[in-house]
Amino acid sequence: MSAPDPSSDTRIPVTILTGFLGSGKTTVLNRLLRQPSLAGAAVIVNEFGAVGLDHLLIEASEEQFTLLDNGCVCCTVRGDLVATLKELDRKSSVGETPPLSQVIIETTGLADPAPILHTLMAEAELTARFRIGGVVTTVDAVNGAATLHRHSEAAKQVAVADRLLITKTDLVSNEVLGGLQHRLAHLAPTVEQTVARNGEVELDLLKSLPADAAADVTRIAARLEAADHHDHECGADCHHGHDHHRDTHHGIRSFSFIIDKPVEWAAFARWLDYVAALKGEDLLRFKGIVRTTEEPEQPLVLHGVQHVFHPPARLDRWPSHDRRTRLVFIVRDIERETIARTLVKFAAIDAASIAGPALAAA
Amino acid sequence: MPDRNADLVFTNGRIYTLDRKRPWASAVAVKGGRIIVVGEGADVAALMGPATRVVDLKGAMMMPGIVDVHAHLMMGGQAELFELRFPPTASFETLIARVGEAAAKAPEGSWIIGGQWGSDLLPKLNRLEALAALDRVSHGRLVMLRDDTYHNRWVNSEALGLAGLSASSPDPKKGSIGRDPATGALTGMMIESAAGIVERTIAQSGHYTEEMDRAAMARSIATLNSYGVTAFLDAAAMQPILAALKGLDDRGELTAWSVSAMPAVEPSFMFGIAGEELIALREQYRGVHAKPDFVKIFLDGVPGARTAAFHEPYTKDPVLGCCFRGSTIVTVPELIRWIGKCEKLGLGVKIHCAGDAAVSQALDAIDVARSFNGPTKLKHHIAHASYIAPDDIARFAELGVVADLSPFLWYPTSFLEGHKQTMGEARALRFWPNKDLLAAGALLAGGSDWPVMPNPDPWDGIEGLVTRRNPSGEFPGASLWPEQAIDIATALEIFTINSARAVGLADTVGSIEIGKSADLIVLDRNVLETPAKDLADTKVLTTWFEGRVVYERA
Repeated sequence: MSAPDPSSDTRIPVTILTGFLGSGKTTVLNRLLRQPSLAGAAVIVNEFGAVGLDHLLIEASEEQFTLLDNGCVCCTVRGDLVATLKELDRKSSVGETPPLSQVIIETTGLADPAPILHTLMAEAELTARFRIGGVVTTVDAVNGAATLHRHSEAAKQVAVADRLLITKTDLVSNEVLGGLQHRLAHLAPTVEQTVARNGEVELDLLKSLPADAAADVTRIAARLEAADHHDHECGADCHHGHDHHRDTHHGIRSFSFIIDKPVEWAAFARWLDYVAALKGEDLLRFKGIVRTTEEPEQPLVLHGVQHVFHPPARLDRWPSHDRRTRLVFIVRDIERETIARTLVKFAAIDAASIAGPALAAA
Repeated sequence: MPDRNADLVFTNGRIYTLDRKRPWASAVAVKGGRIIVVGEGADVAALMGPATRVVDLKGAMMMPGIVDVHAHLMMGGQAELFELRFPPTASFETLIARVGEAAAKAPEGSWIIGGQWGSDLLPKLNRLEALAALDRVSHGRLVMLRDDTYHNRWVNSEALGLAGLSASSPDPKKGSIGRDPATGALTGMMIESAAGIVERTIAQSGHYTEEMDRAAMARSIATLNSYGVTAFLDAAAMQPILAALKGLDDRGELTAWSVSAMPAVEPSFMFGIAGEELIALREQYRGVHAKPDFVKIFLDGVPGARTAAFHEPYTKDPVLGCCFRGSTIVTVPELIRWIGKCEKLGLGVKIHCAGDAAVSQALDAIDVARSFNGPTKLKHHIAHASYIAPDDIARFAELGVVADLSPFLWYPTSFLEGHKQTMGEARALRFWPNKDLLAAGALLAGGSDWPVMPNPDPWDGIEGLVTRRNPSGEFPGASLWPEQAIDIATALEIFTINSARAVGLADTVGSIEIGKSADLIVLDRNVLETPAKDLADTKVLTTWFEGRVVYERA
């Protein structure tokens, strides 16, 4: 069960483009689709309410396009999404459409991206042909802060993102933009933020998404480390205030663990079962690279969205010299202490071998 | 000026309050169904007005109403009111004759439901000749007869037809439909899950009306009231039970506080929607006195049938071999998921655990829930806290788990004899470590499991807790693990305030304190001074529910 080498992974990446109502998803999509590198991309649009209005704005050729018009992604899309992706794959395989290089799913503004990720992770029919390309979340610079404050759905879209794209930045001052970026960094400290000006988007936005799961964990652990370290340095005088952010972020926060000693996989898997059973709903995103006692030189890569976990993939070798287990959590209303305590109690992990990046850095 | 006088005053009583801060009083005053004064005569004198009813207890003992933490109410009432009753010792001929008498009186197209035939009759009934005899006396009425295990049914050809069954019908999973070995024709015998086919047909035929359900429930509650019970937890509340309780409550006819445990999966002995579908309906069945606040999960079976899950194997068995330990029917992760779901919804979980391995698993699952979710005010129950591994005793208190003591089997019984057969005598006798649980700080709550025990009389259970000897005089001289006996004061707590805490009603019932419901019982003796061996003879003279008489001994 080695993970496919990303360069040889021929599966079609599926990118989820999400973002709150009016945050500029459609504009971004239009710009992206004009780029030659996206020839062979299919777009699945999910509409909420009035069917097909947004889709008329998208300048794309017909065959690139599939519209799901059954309403909200969060509750009803699963079966349709499976069928749509299979149909796209079939059409391109038999030559009815050009070869499929990439799929972009544009969600409704209110959508929770998690069920789409679940579908992509858990449907055996899909996992052979498609892989998750990542979640790109648009946040509009004008209304973003207010939207995040008011709508937990928006905060969740940001929390589960792999990439944040801030739109409409030309309409706000640098100060306002800076404030929003600061806020997003608290909500999603592991995620890279990209600023779009005048609707222009980097050409490689989709390409830069994490195809390599191991590198991804390493990268986000490092980012989290930096973020935690920053907070750590901030100290007692720092009044930008965690409580304030907690209130406005709907309890969403992130933290990570580094575990020095190898992990007993059976016990760890049991812990995963428990955490999924009791805290699944609030475990927005979980990523990990694990050094197991059984095969310490071939790390396991873990990826979970709420209660659904990817089958763990074993790598042939560690991606870097750092061979410690690293776990990254993006959660809602789960205390770091709860995770630490239960890891010790149920995953047979020695309390002394657990550290957070902040502690490790101190 | 509003009337400040009490509606009801009790004087000259020996009133045992079950309030540790004030164990005894001689007078109680009640207004609006609530206790407003607990004290002596002088304390209530000023509250007596012209409209006040004064009850002179003449030295009789009064205490709070009993809280039964585990009962199944509907079935008993239905059987009493609407069914043909015959004893399991009844012969085939008697059974046929009784059905004939009933059929002659029954309206056309109606059901005749009866029970319970002895399961030793099964081979005789499972034949075409027997079915022909049943059909002959049925006069075209629909007939269903239950056996004494409640697992199997015998029905006539009319009932088979209404259920859409014929020789070509396949057997259901975990059950079978009786057939003639030569022709394959159906005999009317419905084994295990096949019983559900007929029970569902009856339910769908509209045989049980809401009026009948309410009447059956009211009859069962009246029976409980006669033993001094004024609050209970229905331990497998299907939709008709929830509806009946709510219906009675809305009509002001519910004469006890009812807490309901909705089954997570359809039980083997009751039929209809269960689990999330049922739980989703709970608010529509909530009433002032009707509280669907629990979920029931069956984790294993029973020791006598070798279906309970134990750490050590059962005795050797020709089919199951040397080393069978039984098994749990829900995995630990599934159980954890259920507990997590229920805690989110604010529901307690009552987990049926008959074997010590099931108890361990339930405690393990609750331990996981506590570790992730932190402390909770919800009470989860282990029913029936009977066979418990020594290492698990302390975990009840540590995890805040209620030990549901039911049914009354903490003395020698025929059940225990069955356990000796399947578990060996030494292990069978390590049954109900009540005193150990108590010493470890567990909350012990008393229940009848009626009609599993044919009689819900708590005084039988209370005597048994104190003596560990069978109160009926059966098994003379024998006692069960007498070291686990507890004193009468503790036994009274177990059946009142402890059960009230366990079902989430401690602010309302379980003791005689100001502000609590005036659920009061008058006894024919002072049970704290009664010889232990006579406790089961205790009679309730009057039962008051919210200051109203709901039972009076004739």
